[in-house]
Amino acid sequence: MTGWAMVSPSVVLIAVFGLLPVVWAFWLSFQHNDLQTPGQWAGLDNYRQLAHDPVFRDSVRHTVVYTVLFVPITLVLSLLAAAALNRRVRGITLYRLAVFVPVVTSTIATGVIFTWLLDPDYGLVNTILAKLGLPTSGFFSSPHSALFAVVIMTVWGWVGFGALIFLAALQGIPQDLIEAAQMDGCSRSGAFWRIEVPLLRPVSGFLLVWLTINALQLFDEVYVTTKGGPLHATTVVVYYLYQQAFQFFHAGYAAAIAVVLFAVIALITLVQLRLTRDPSTAGERR
Amino acid sequence: MTVAQVPRRRRRRAPSPWHLVLVPVALLMAAPLVWMVLTSLSTLEETRRFPPGLPSSLHWANYATAWHDSPMAHWLVNSAIVSVTCVLSNLVLCSMAGYAFARLRFPGSSILFIATLATLMVPFQVVMIPTLLIVKHLHLVDTLPALVLPNLATPFGIYLLRQFFLSLPVELEEAALMDGAGRLRILRSILLPLMGPPLSTVAVLTFLSVWNDFLWPLVVIASPSKMTVQIGLATFTSAHYTNWPVLMAATVLSQIPVFVLFLVGQRWFVQSIASTGIK
Amino acid sequence: MRPSVGPRARYGRRRLAALCAVGALVAGVLAACGGGGGSDSGGSTSIVVSHGYTDVEAKALQDAVDTWNGQHPDEKVTLQFNGGNDSALQKTLAGFTAGNFPDVAYEYGSSAAQLARQPKLVDLTDKVQDPSVDWEDFYLSGREASTVDGKVVGVPALIDNLSLVYNKKLFAQAGVAPPTDDWTWADFRAAAQRLTDASTHTYGWAYVNDGSEDTVWRYLAMLWQAGGDLLNADNTAPAFDSAAGKAALQQLYDMAVTDKSVYLDNGNGNYLNLFNSGKIAMLWTGPWDLSSINSDVSYGVTYLPGYQGNHETISGPDLYLLFDHSSARADAAFDFVTWLTSAKEHIAFAVATGDLPVRQSETRLPEYQTFLKKYPAEKVFVANLNNVKHVRPNIPQYAEVSQAVGTMVQSVLLGQASPDDALKQASDQVTSALAGS
Repeated sequence: MTGWAMVSPSVVLIAVFGLLPVVWAFWLSFQHNDLQTPGQWAGLDNYRQLAHDPVFRDSVRHTVVYTVLFVPITLVLSLLAAAALNRRVRGITLYRLAVFVPVVTSTIATGVIFTWLLDPDYGLVNTILAKLGLPTSGFFSSPHSALFAVVIMTVWGWVGFGALIFLAALQGIPQDLIEAAQMDGCSRSGAFWRIEVPLLRPVSGFLLVWLTINALQLFDEVYVTTKGGPLHATTVVVYYLYQQAFQFFHAGYAAAIAVVLFAVIALITLVQLRLTRDPSTAGERR
Repeated sequence: MTVAQVPRRRRRRAPSPWHLVLVPVALLMAAPLVWMVLTSLSTLEETRRFPPGLPSSLHWANYATAWHDSPMAHWLVNSAIVSVTCVLSNLVLCSMAGYAFARLRFPGSSILFIATLATLMVPFQVVMIPTLLIVKHLHLVDTLPALVLPNLATPFGIYLLRQFFLSLPVELEEAALMDGAGRLRILRSILLPLMGPPLSTVAVLTFLSVWNDFLWPLVVIASPSKMTVQIGLATFTSAHYTNWPVLMAATVLSQIPVFVLFLVGQRWFVQSIASTGIK
Repeated sequence: MRPSVGPRARYGRRRLAALCAVGALVAGVLAACGGGGGSDSGGSTSIVVSHGYTDVEAKALQDAVDTWNGQHPDEKVTLQFNGGNDSALQKTLAGFTAGNFPDVAYEYGSSAAQLARQPKLVDLTDKVQDPSVDWEDFYLSGREASTVDGKVVGVPALIDNLSLVYNKKLFAQAGVAPPTDDWTWADFRAAAQRLTDASTHTYGWAYVNDGSEDTVWRYLAMLWQAGGDLLNADNTAPAFDSAAGKAALQQLYDMAVTDKSVYLDNGNGNYLNLFNSGKIAMLWTGPWDLSSINSDVSYGVTYLPGYQGNHETISGPDLYLLFDHSSARADAAFDFVTWLTSAKEHIAFAVATGDLPVRQSETRLPEYQTFLKKYPAEKVFVANLNNVKHVRPNIPQYAEVSQAVGTMVQSVLLGQASPDDALKQASDQVTSALAGS
């Protein structure tokens, strides 16, 4: 009873403003609807069309490639950044603030900066690469490299988020644990990897799930840089959905895409939740 | 004690080598802010060149323009009301829910938790319209409550705090439970004091997400008097023309509250020694 | 510490306290803000006009509205910023759901065909026939953009066109004769080649290559110049898969892939910054970019280079669309919009903003001379309005057609496809897009 009481305010709010709209979206996926005129019932038509849609298949492929690159890289870099920031060094708060800046920076500003930095002709990165004698890249302008350029940009944008959360978790680990291990002959980095990191499991699990859910729904960064191009190289699922709904006015079709995406994300999330369950605290209920 | 005895190990006076790592990382991360500030101090003509260069002199007037030529103060107030309300509400509601999901067993808890997460799995472009319909039925279109209500409790806060509650030793609560203390009391007196870092993280990130939200305020707000900062910033840019220096000045101004909150939140990041005598 | 009261009671009180705190907050927020919403009071009407203007244009619009409100106190107009024109369509659509749609909305012309299906749209076909409106006085491109399947759905708000803008200094430095109104595609290609210098990353021409309509409409100008068209007469099949279509693509291929004289802008508008920095010699652009050219850049404007004497150009009109709340409000909205776009009012707006005249009669008013003195470069743009002979098809599937053609042009410019292959693929996609809906 206590449990119900404690969760009900949140659950009611989320049910009304989060779940009801999702249910509506499901219902919309069974219609041909342009959001202007009344919709017509279409049954499973949208889903059938989706199964044969080559552009949708490509968008799925792009999304998967993106996610598989983005999530692990961000997780690892966030952890390392948090470790570096978990020091009692002078000015550490300023360093933390600096790492936090990309999280705060608006997507538009980030998009502008990165299209400048990664400009094939005049960008700083290619200029440096050329000076070092390394091959340059087309980054956002070439269909072969555009998705990777998006990965670079989004990893940069999310590392601060992950670092902040890992840092909060590291702060909760008592110092005497570390000191005890060091007195037993463990090195500092050994203590880090063998004591602190395992204690971060609940939080790394959270980040894994959170980053995956967000990666699979990538949109804003694509919208402000490549608009799904060049030649659809960065058209990910949600971008395709957005085009269908707001450029082509096929809202029912867009809703069907959303439902399929939802099913995939739900499945992946359930698997991840299971895999990252901490056996020592799982099932600890009173 | 004689002078010859050294009571402590001598502290290292040399600066920590970690600076060598932290400085380049910090520069890499903070570069956009640096660019934004430099742009905000340039003239319009200087920003219309490529590759971008340094401003010839510091045009602080852009900040005055951003402040005076627009109802910036009003936008900031609107954004502040909405964001602060959401942060306080999230701290209260998400702690309760996060704790319940972490430690309490009650029928349907798993399903409810999964359902909470499920709301994150549909892109906003799709749920934007039905959410608007719900708000319309509540007669809250074009009001600040419409911006607040959907964010009073977020799955992010619930999920993150649940994970942190899970990482606290169960023994902390056992003694109090045996004494007959209620769950809320345990939460308030025992657990929350140990949750400084995660609570401040939830506060900062919730504030940030509500403060920076653009699409939802765009579709639900129409009156200029209710506009938030993000919508206001859009008035400095258009399809073919962007007043970059003033836009950057306004953007920098709009991000100051978030940075301030972050710095305030960092004071809660004190290395806690969970020494409650349990060993 | 032992509780003095039983756990359950204490719990109850605590829970109540927590919930009350949150409730008080929400109530406080609710109380502090009244629910707004303009509604009509008996006798007088008030209408809402949503727009995406910023800066100078926004100010000019506000001035016009203030004048109107002074003269028509019982038909008050309130302006509403729509978050920027790129967001206009999303906001308008959401507005129909929420019931807070405006009476007048400024929209891109390309949105007209989709919004034409909106039941709340006011059909203006009969209203514009009124002699006081002088519909035929609007430039052709504006009238055509406002008409979907014979139905007039909006009033022209803004028109423009593409002309050739060039950097005089770069031409002088390279010793190349500057462009004239009679240039051919071959002249253009040769000049671009001579103005390109790979070692300094300087290019002769810039093309917006993000696959969007911005990529398509420059190609369309060339297609029409070569005598081709996008779709057939009743808009049921593609027509650009023709000799003319291929000639236009071939010109782009020759310049971008063979000569490498074209800077491919990826949609973030950097071409203008590069133009200002003397890195690009020629642009095909419209009046909106002129105000962003730095004062230290000396530039000239001519018609687009032509194909066998045809210097046709393309226009991208924006419209005011009217939506129905009540007949009183719709009438007031129509009165306001026709007043705003009348010759006398609009030339004043043009002088303040640099936007081109939307009516031919504006060029015969004395204020037009003020306009020319203030914006000498726009003289060519205005004259070029007469070179707009074709308009883009106003069909609901245009967005999909545009995407297919945009991808086609993009793939050729990037050297990823030959003109023949690209044409075939785009043609197939357009066929299925037209059949599908």
